[in-house]
Amino acid sequence: MAGQGIQRREVLRILGTAAAAAQFPGFSKWGFACGHVGNAALQVKPATYHPQFFTAAEYATVERLADIIIPNDGTLGAKEAGVAEFIDFMVASDPEPQYGFRTGLTWLNAHAEQKDGKRFAELTPEQQTSLLEPLGFKDKARPGEEDGRRFFSLMREYTVTGFYTSEIGFKELDNPALKFYAESPECPHKGDPEHAHVTPAHS
Amino acid sequence: MAKQIYDVIVIGTGAGGGMAIKTLCEAGLKVCALNAGRRLDPEKDFRYHRMPWDMKFRGLDDPKRRGESFGYMDNEYTKAAWDHEIPFTVAPGTKWMWPRCNAVGGKTNFWGRSSARFGDIDLRAASIDGYDVDWPVTYDEISPFYTRVEKMIGVASTVQNRASNPDGSYLPPFKFRCLDFILEAGCNKVGVPYLPDRCAQLTQAHEGHPACHFCGECTTGCDVGAFFSTPYFLLPKAEATKNLELRTNALAKNVLVDENGRATGVAYIDRATKQEVEVYARAVVVAASCIESARIMLNSKSRHWPNGVANSSGQVGRNLCDHLYGESARGYLPQLLGQPSFPDHVADSTIAWMPRWQNLRDPHEENFIRGYSVYPDGGCTDFPWFANDLDGFGSSFKREIKRRYPTPVSFGIQAPSLRSDTNFVDLDSEVRDPYGIPVARMHFEWDENVLKMWEHSKQVCAEVLRAAGGVVESSGGDPEIPGWSLHETGTCRMGNDPKKFVTNRFGQTHDVPNLYVSDASVFLNCTDKTTTISILAFSLRTSERLIENFRQGEHKAA
Repeated sequence: MAGQGIQRREVLRILGTAAAAAQFPGFSKWGFACGHVGNAALQVKPATYHPQFFTAAEYATVERLADIIIPNDGTLGAKEAGVAEFIDFMVASDPEPQYGFRTGLTWLNAHAEQKDGKRFAELTPEQQTSLLEPLGFKDKARPGEEDGRRFFSLMREYTVTGFYTSEIGFKELDNPALKFYAESPECPHKGDPEHAHVTPAHS
Repeated sequence: MAKQIYDVIVIGTGAGGGMAIKTLCEAGLKVCALNAGRRLDPEKDFRYHRMPWDMKFRGLDDPKRRGESFGYMDNEYTKAAWDHEIPFTVAPGTKWMWPRCNAVGGKTNFWGRSSARFGDIDLRAASIDGYDVDWPVTYDEISPFYTRVEKMIGVASTVQNRASNPDGSYLPPFKFRCLDFILEAGCNKVGVPYLPDRCAQLTQAHEGHPACHFCGECTTGCDVGAFFSTPYFLLPKAEATKNLELRTNALAKNVLVDENGRATGVAYIDRATKQEVEVYARAVVVAASCIESARIMLNSKSRHWPNGVANSSGQVGRNLCDHLYGESARGYLPQLLGQPSFPDHVADSTIAWMPRWQNLRDPHEENFIRGYSVYPDGGCTDFPWFANDLDGFGSSFKREIKRRYPTPVSFGIQAPSLRSDTNFVDLDSEVRDPYGIPVARMHFEWDENVLKMWEHSKQVCAEVLRAAGGVVESSGGDPEIPGWSLHETGTCRMGNDPKKFVTNRFGQTHDVPNLYVSDASVFLNCTDKTTTISILAFSLRTSERLIENFRQGEHKAA
């Protein structure tokens, strides 16, 4: 470890930023748990999020889409990470993607009505997935749905950004950022420089 | 009351200015340093050790600032340190990005830390391939200065015995990661070098500075000073001598001259009060960074110097060179699919390099002259950038992101533009900054030679990646726009002929003997190597020349 100095500073940093963090997007959903300081972990009281850009109905659809894109499937997903809050906050802060989100959500509902006679939010999970597959998988793409694919790609990009910049997203990848080492970390497979025989750790 | 006269005014506190300030103060000269921005407080201003979710916009910054961003280092973590107030303009057809850190220490607060020496292959390039002119300094002459600088700042690397890269004195190198061993094997098959970079990041405690803790956030500033920056390494030594007065928020406007055209001081704008202030000295060192140094000198018009101070040659602002940067190839290493995550990012992209291998035996063996270097990068980084290229959604998508997380690799080229009459900086008489000072106007285009290097690198890097067993996903596209690298050089080139060069071989201007230039603007071109360590070495040499001139009575010490 790099010594006491950094640890002390880390604690001060966390104490200093926790208050500010409470008002940042994505924080009403889950506590501000700090692995670095163990028992000193600080909890932020859960609160109801009020969307700044989306209507309540749009927001619910965004949250559902994020959940479908990065689901809770044994490890936590976009919903637990507060991704919808992040998307609402970023889109509210940025005129550029606003048109794409608004018209895209309108397209999605019109498409759902046309296919299944209901708005997207009212469909069963199975219906929702089968509606989205042609938009999200290249080999299932259908002509005439280009606008929908464009919207889904925008939605997916924001979901990925929101999820993998959250603490839950970091844990999902075991992101090594901001860990400290006594010396420069080294490849553990030195007997096999080409890594031809590395055993897969996950299937 | 008699006005105060310092021995030397130094404009700028980055690599060139910081080295001059330290060297001059330690020699007993009274120095007034002018810095265009404020002092940074590492505890407050360096937001490293902050996770994305500690930041309001997750480190992505306020989208409203997108239009005014000046480069990849100017982000939500460091934005308070970068200057957005002073505009610049571009000539029709020119694209230019100009990130400027005007905080004390300048770009050394956040620099990339790659620190290779120039060699005779660079300094004598014109003799070797016939293009342009040689530097007025040989490697034998500058080598001892590099050795002293390496001792001061600490550079991690190995002795590599390569014609393009003279070796120095090094701290233990960064250890290779999985991706390095895999890419090295690919390079061996293709016949190009893959070696530890020269990285000014302390792999062990050095000269009173703590060892790196390998958090991987160097480019947002280091609050323990485990890599070289002037506020940690040089300015405290200068301040300890009590010979330094550092004036912050002091935006240099012009060099003042007497009736004989000699420098008497500097006029600057106090950005806090917006008042113009004059400060006087027996000698002046301009080290404001390449383009800003030219702007100051071109704005220093007087009866003696109607085209700008020390510009009888008309060469101030000319000969602008820059490094072409870009991603020559990108892909992933299937060998690492599904491996546990690994701290691949501990020195950003400067753990390994592919140092110039072209045109070494014969200067014309390629369809371009000179050469370029490549920085490989990849592995587990702060964000899975590759995810948007993957297909689908749901559990399979999430699993694939995790499986691919340790595997991405990319190759970044660093290729020098050639000196050209059409690449330069001048003043835009139509546009003034908020203090009424004419702004710099950029004229720049990549030349044919450097674009051939770019094409060459795309082919070789894709070949290396395939030879390493990797999958190439992209090896096309355009390079970054000029200015992106933050490695601009030229504008006040050094040389023996006063008609063709702004300064002599020591960085002293030919026209004004008590005016010196001490940053990358004196460089003849930018080579395939980064600039900072060479700025330090040349600034040390210039500063010692200046001290010697004081001793000889040339500038009449206080």
